[in-house]
Amino acid sequence: MHLTDHISDVQLNEYLDNESADRAEIETHLDSCDECAARLSALQALFTDLDSLPEVTLSTNLAARFTSDRKLVPQLPRWLTLTASLQAAAALVALIVAIPFFSIMLPKIEAPSFTELLFELQSIWASWLDALSNYQLPNYQFTDLPTYPVELSTLFIALAIVSIFWIFGNGLLLRNQTK
Amino acid sequence: MNAPTDRDLILRARRGDTEAYGNLVARHQTGVFNICYRILHNRADAEDLAQETFIRALDRLHTFDFEREFSPWIRRVAANLCLNHLEAHKPSASLDEERDEDKTPSPGEQVEVKERSEQIRSALASLPPHYRVVVELRHYQELSYDEIAHELNIPLSDVKSHLFRARKLLAEKLHAPD
Ligand SMILES: [Zn+2]
Repeated sequence: MHLTDHISDVQLNEYLDNESADRAEIETHLDSCDECAARLSALQALFTDLDSLPEVTLSTNLAARFTSDRKLVPQLPRWLTLTASLQAAAALVALIVAIPFFSIMLPKIEAPSFTELLFELQSIWASWLDALSNYQLPNYQFTDLPTYPVELSTLFIALAIVSIFWIFGNGLLLRNQTK
Repeated sequence: MNAPTDRDLILRARRGDTEAYGNLVARHQTGVFNICYRILHNRADAEDLAQETFIRALDRLHTFDFEREFSPWIRRVAANLCLNHLEAHKPSASLDEERDEDKTPSPGEQVEVKERSEQIRSALASLPPHYRVVVELRHYQELSYDEIAHELNIPLSDVKSHLFRARKLLAEKLHAPD
């Protein structure tokens, strides 16, 4: 920087921010140049203005919100708590509806003995393994492709939907904890 | 017995002591609220964001580096949250009308000070979000250019240009000859 050059805006800002590498040169120039000295004091006036801004007081005590909550977790969104309450209510209704079924229908079902049950499970398992080991890819035409019984596929779809909702719901609930 | 240090309170809060975290919030809430208020220029939003700042800080308390001071850390979290908030919610047209002025009348000089403060706050609020936050970090949190660049994840050249342009705009608004 030549002494005859005026100080640039960038230099002036850096000087006031204590980020300037050539402070001595700038100060020498300021001593001899009224124009740059005036620009400096204008910028200083802005700094003073910004410094003069008083602190305002809070109208609520934020700390109370932390100590009054027993758990330190953020409030869940309203719709989520509402959905959870609705789910709980639905489950309760389902339980009440199911009580007659359990008390009336259940005793009428003849329960097989434990060994019978085990034996049955074993034979089902054996037949499964058998079927698997003997399984051959069907060499049918595409039109003859075997299809699942309707009940089974709807069950799968229902399971998939429930899983998606479950994962989504839990993801939302856990999002704040994992951040 | 001496009052517990911020460090003591953080240690206790990490172990789930809500009382300790409440104390920590009580100590820093006014500072944090003022940061939000300077950047957002809206009392309700500033309170929400100050609250959000302490919730975020609590979530990240386990990552807090004890070599550093809590106050500068929480103040930077607040500034960043406000910037995100401003970028997510483009300012509404009604910003000027919902300006938060104290309506209690006060005598002469005080009115002038109040008016000047309001002019400064309005001028700050008229700046683009990034400019506002750079001014906040430089003038009120006294970070260096490098620290601001690091904090906002922007190049050093952007820090300078944002800051210098912001000051130019502020000077035009505040020191215009009338
Ligand atoms: Zn000059």
